[in-house]
Amino acid sequence: MDLRNNVYYKKFLKEPWPYTVGAVILGLLNIGMLVSTGKAWGVTSYFATWAAWIYQAIGGHPESWFYFQEKSEAAALVGGFAQNMQSLSDFGIIFGALLATLLASQFRIKKIRSWKQVAAAALGGLIMGYGARISFGCNIGTLFSGVASMSIHGWVYWIFIFFGAWIGGKLLVKYLI
Amino acid sequence: MSAIRLECLGEACPIPLIKAQKKMAALRVGEVMIVETDHSCALKNVPEWASKEGYHVEVTEVDAGLWEIYIKKTK
Repeated sequence: MDLRNNVYYKKFLKEPWPYTVGAVILGLLNIGMLVSTGKAWGVTSYFATWAAWIYQAIGGHPESWFYFQEKSEAAALVGGFAQNMQSLSDFGIIFGALLATLLASQFRIKKIRSWKQVAAAALGGLIMGYGARISFGCNIGTLFSGVASMSIHGWVYWIFIFFGAWIGGKLLVKYLI
Repeated sequence: MSAIRLECLGEACPIPLIKAQKKMAALRVGEVMIVETDHSCALKNVPEWASKEGYHVEVTEVDAGLWEIYIKKTK
């Protein structure tokens, strides 16, 4: 029998899972993350730490910056990769996503349509990175983990991300279509 | 029967959906539009919009990670 037509293959590997199933699994994984590392799940703060290590390696001194003098950021900077088990989850996300797309046999190298698209992606990435740092996290570290921790900053983030998405949507229609 | 092709390769959400909506508005009743996409999220929002509008929709995976969404303007 052809595997591609197998009902279980289709259900579990080929077709997207329902949002509610994803939500429950994410919730359970965040509990596991909190229990095993002592911190709720976050994604982007590790990007700042990695970039600081790279900057140190080429002779810079990010440790003198205000951001890296905050207690937890300073600890992450001197702790090294092995002390920072959660940052491995960022690699896990990338490899997991690759595995999922390979198992569904949907892997594809996508073409770049225009330099406008590249510029928009780079600019969007920079703004999101900056925003994530000044709001103590991205939609994972601040929204997902913040709301789960009963912290008000997660809810405030949630309200303002709507405004950001609204403005982003307007810009997208104006410049990318 | 001729169909209008809308090539959206390399375009991420929500661009395929917005392009499809714009193109569909220009189509006459009875005409078919084929949206070519390699973005799996478009498989969710494009057919969802089309069936909400009451159009006839079909999706085929033509290659690994490459889909064609057939939408017939029924009204």
